Amino acid sequence: MRTLDWIVMGGFLAFVVVYGVWRGRRNRNLDGFLLADRDMRWWTIGLAIMATQASAITFLSTPGQAYADGMRFIQFYFGLPIAMVVLSITAVPIYHRLKVYTAYEYLEGRFDLKTRSLAAFLFLIQRGLACGLTIYAPALIISILLGWNLYVMNLVIGILVITYTASGGSKAVNHTHFVQMIIILGGMLAAFVVMVSLLPRDVSLIDATYVAGKMGRLNAIDFSFDINNRYNFWSGLIGGFFLALSYFGTDQSQVGRYLTGKSVAQSRLGLLLNGIVKVPMQFFILFIGAILFAFYQFVAPPLFFNDVEASKIRASAQAPRYEALEREHMEAFEEKQATVRELVTARRAGDDATIVVASTKLIAAQENTARIKTEAVELIREVNPRAETNDSNLVFLTFVLNYLPAGLVGLVMAAVLSASMSSTSAELNALASTTIVDVYQRRFKPTASDRHYVIVSKLATVFWGGFAIMFAQYATRLGSLIEAVNILGSLFYGTILGIFLVAFYVKSVGGTATFFAALIAEAVVILCFAFTGISFLWYNVIGCLVVVLAALFIQRFVARPPTRPGVDSRQ
Amino acid sequence: MTDNPDPEAPPPIGRTWNRLYSFVIAFLIFQIALFFIFTKAFE
Repeated sequence: MRTLDWIVMGGFLAFVVVYGVWRGRRNRNLDGFLLADRDMRWWTIGLAIMATQASAITFLSTPGQAYADGMRFIQFYFGLPIAMVVLSITAVPIYHRLKVYTAYEYLEGRFDLKTRSLAAFLFLIQRGLACGLTIYAPALIISILLGWNLYVMNLVIGILVITYTASGGSKAVNHTHFVQMIIILGGMLAAFVVMVSLLPRDVSLIDATYVAGKMGRLNAIDFSFDINNRYNFWSGLIGGFFLALSYFGTDQSQVGRYLTGKSVAQSRLGLLLNGIVKVPMQFFILFIGAILFAFYQFVAPPLFFNDVEASKIRASAQAPRYEALEREHMEAFEEKQATVRELVTARRAGDDATIVVASTKLIAAQENTARIKTEAVELIREVNPRAETNDSNLVFLTFVLNYLPAGLVGLVMAAVLSASMSSTSAELNALASTTIVDVYQRRFKPTASDRHYVIVSKLATVFWGGFAIMFAQYATRLGSLIEAVNILGSLFYGTILGIFLVAFYVKSVGGTATFFAALIAEAVVILCFAFTGISFLWYNVIGCLVVVLAALFIQRFVARPPTRPGVDSRQ
Repeated sequence: MTDNPDPEAPPPIGRTWNRLYSFVIAFLIFQIALFFIFTKAFE
């Protein structure tokens, strides 16, 4: 990082903190602190929803995912727009009518206190841990690439977020999301433009796309059905729908964003904006990864992107073996590059026969490169058994640091840190809301002044921020970070969604049946995770279905719930 | 300026909610079709 990069990055981060504190300076009551006085417009809500979901992991790990595995991850988002429509029709009017602070508050009116507490408890565990990952993920990547201290990074990111979230509450969160989202998209676009401009002069973007496609990186759609296949059309549409329904409908970090809407219409439009923009945005980020893969077919990539681990092995007794692998990797690259150029020339000439031959050669060359990399990884593990051997998260930022001009590196780093801060701030705000409204106010201090609740909410924000920083300090060896976060979410989301679906749609089922059904569902999901190879997206479906079916079954043996006017969604 | 609190009030854009919902779903279908063509074209 050069001086200009530091100025751009530091200037933007300082601006976000000051802007957040300033926007939230007039918080006098709980409504203002937790729900921004319910005064937000749809575009602010829409961008806040997107910024909350799009953490730094999205921007670092997603291009790496496309680089290593192709664009099939896009299918993960196919259920999201449908979920936005369903939530706009069902959940938004209910939450607005009941004027709740948290989604779980609604459950007490519909069921009972224990079901509300269970849902809030599951949320606090899952989101508290996920918040730590949200801080840890970019800190880890940046610390590896720039040699910054990981623990200091966790602390700095955490403290910056705590400062404006504890000070400004929901207003600060929503308004900073707006500017953060703009800088994030600007940073990604700048990186993409530079990437394309750095392709060799005789290679166009179409050529690069063609190469990426021939090497299996543009596999955006796969209609084959396989429950063990993590990303295909069906898992994305069905599993992704359930995950999105649960995440946006029951996770307070998202519900808290659209509850700030001035009206039902503003909240709905915010959700629908997300439904329209999310898939193209993710496609663009994945496409950056695919083009980055093509870029590294013309420019030699390092054998292993994690330079810290590579340096360790170069300093060990295994250095000669590793250097031999590096030479072999370079020879394989040169051979592969010649074939890639042959393919590009054949495409332009429309020479189908050469295309077939070159494509076959290219696949073999890619397999050879993969073999060399596997050997290198085994060698790294031999020297350091605890080494992080998944380097896909480092691919994008390595490119940024090595190839972007001064100033733009700072912009992308600001974008990455912004993404981390935007998600973390929404999570802290949601954790504080749930802690205060569903636990503290409900169970310990039901009557106190607004000022008291605002102060305790700020303290809760600081507490959860501290908890997240502590978890971040211990989170290691997680593989692909974006998958780790989604897997963690999927362990709980299905159950929480099941509780809400019963609440919204199955009037005949009461709190006791739902409570025990939720416990059974959570046990089933954890067993699936521990003992089966079922892809994690299906946990959302399984957890949800078990809650609904078990609740219907258990309800046969317990007393029917009384009707609760004004709470049931259909009244 | 205050918004209409009625959940069935028409949206500020797009005339009716059903029209907006249909647009979101139609746009998703369009994107999936586009991605399918994209995948096949560069396979």
